[in-house]
Amino acid sequence: MSTIDTGARRRTTDPRPVITDLIDGDTILSIAGDAWISLVGEDEVLVPLPGPLPGDILSSWVDVVGPWTGSVVLTTARATAEELSRALLRESAPEVLDDEDVADAFGEIANVVGGSVKAALPGPSALSLPQVGNAPLVRNPGDVCRVDVVWRGEPLTISVQGALPPLPVPSPTRENEVSL
Amino acid sequence: MRALVIDDSRAMRRIVTGILTDLGYEVRDAGHGGEGLEVLNEGWAPDLATIDWNMPVMDGLQFVSAVRSNPAWRRMTMMMVTSESEHTQIVRALAAGAHEYMIKPFTADAFRDKLALLGLLPQEVAL
Amino acid sequence: MSLTATSFDWVRELVRKESAIVLQPGKEYLVEARLLPIARQMGLPDVGKLVDTVRTRPSADDTRKIVEALTTNETSWFRDGDPFTALTSTVLPALLSARGANERLQIWSAACSSGQEPYTIAMLLDDALPNAASRVSITATDLSREMVQRTRAGRFSQLEVNRGLPAPMLVRHFTRAGTEWEVSANLRRMVNATECNLAAPLPRMGPFDVVYLRNVLIYFDLPTKQSILRRVRDLMRPDGWLFLGAAETTLGVDDSWERVVIGRSSAYRPLKGK
Repeated sequence: MSTIDTGARRRTTDPRPVITDLIDGDTILSIAGDAWISLVGEDEVLVPLPGPLPGDILSSWVDVVGPWTGSVVLTTARATAEELSRALLRESAPEVLDDEDVADAFGEIANVVGGSVKAALPGPSALSLPQVGNAPLVRNPGDVCRVDVVWRGEPLTISVQGALPPLPVPSPTRENEVSL
Repeated sequence: MRALVIDDSRAMRRIVTGILTDLGYEVRDAGHGGEGLEVLNEGWAPDLATIDWNMPVMDGLQFVSAVRSNPAWRRMTMMMVTSESEHTQIVRALAAGAHEYMIKPFTADAFRDKLALLGLLPQEVAL
Repeated sequence: MSLTATSFDWVRELVRKESAIVLQPGKEYLVEARLLPIARQMGLPDVGKLVDTVRTRPSADDTRKIVEALTTNETSWFRDGDPFTALTSTVLPALLSARGANERLQIWSAACSSGQEPYTIAMLLDDALPNAASRVSITATDLSREMVQRTRAGRFSQLEVNRGLPAPMLVRHFTRAGTEWEVSANLRRMVNATECNLAAPLPRMGPFDVVYLRNVLIYFDLPTKQSILRRVRDLMRPDGWLFLGAAETTLGVDDSWERVVIGRSSAYRPLKGK
């Protein structure tokens, strides 16, 4: 049997959830805190304080695709991402970290945080491999849950942000629909 | 004792390798399931394989299934070490033939606890 | 940072005195992060104000919260698995043959912390007995009200379930609850958690067939150890079994127990006539 899902029913009776309905800042902070304790070091704490990010920043993220679709993005100064990678690699860190080392380590932290965020969201969802670079754009400001923290005195943000633009205002006609 | 560490992240391979070598393990590593199978096909027989789930080329679940289909590798204990942490995912991995499941993030103590459960913690450090 | 050097030193000294754990200089961020939730809970803006408040108006409850926040570590489930192996291999079969089919087995987890020990026992018995929920009752006690509440809730963080809980048991007995894992209602019904101070006269409980009193006696002086063991014995069946921590023994403390070796662990049983 096959049915064509126009999405019309879902959109009128069961609107797509936005992230703030599904998770809160405290939960994200606790997820990130656990990741830091086990990956970076037992005494490595994240203090929930806002701090201005500098100009030269780097992001790492994983995508979550499921009932809620978006990205879990870590953003910090390039220098802090390097320090974080060094902390992760400990004594096996090379003398000079190249971009690939930083992408690998910083990406793995996004993977671990993203995995826990995914588990806290309604499933089933799939997790992408981590990516590093300029963060995906925020498509819907209403579908973002962001936490600002300080690690070793340096600002870092964790943003759980939807990948889809806002839904159009519900309308009785089907002309304004966009495909999902 | 020997361990094969399979993870696409070099950083994670180093972390897991560090814990295992501290316990006296001889460790080899692989960046995905396919590379892991190559190591086994060389005839190198580990007591333990730690396996990430999401990897390029061949993922962890495919690796577990491939190992299960070869009776020569039956002696090897397989532990998933992954950020996939839903109930259904753990059930899938166990059903495919993994013996244990460690959710990232984990501490070195938690890793040793799992090895103790599997009887793979060397006796001299078993406290 | 809201924490002055003087406040940090006060916290260090408090923790050293209460737990013998030494916080190294440079751990200000750790203190800040762990104590901030307590400050917020008390309606205070930051950790500096929390320290000032507790210093000027000391309360045992607040002090304990601070020490617990800085010293708690996750407990393992099966890490020291021998006393649990002994339960299913030896103790349970002995009890089942000695008791009537309608007699409920009573087990006491006497320092249950956040609940790992009583739920470990519950999982083992649920797997070993077809009708565990009606056959067994587990009493879980702890000094800390917070720990008793956590045990009742039966919820564990990701890091906690990673500590030595076999994955097959996790998927059989737990479900996801947000970022945490929740133990099944069936097991929660087997466990009855209540506050109890072992160093004071004990409430009417039991009589117990099995008592787990692990890693508690080490914190007390000899006379207190003796009185705790005596009180525990009064709540046990004459043919009951007592498990202590791996580094603990009744030998040289109280001679009214018989040590029985079971596999790699030891149990203690009340000596008749003592």
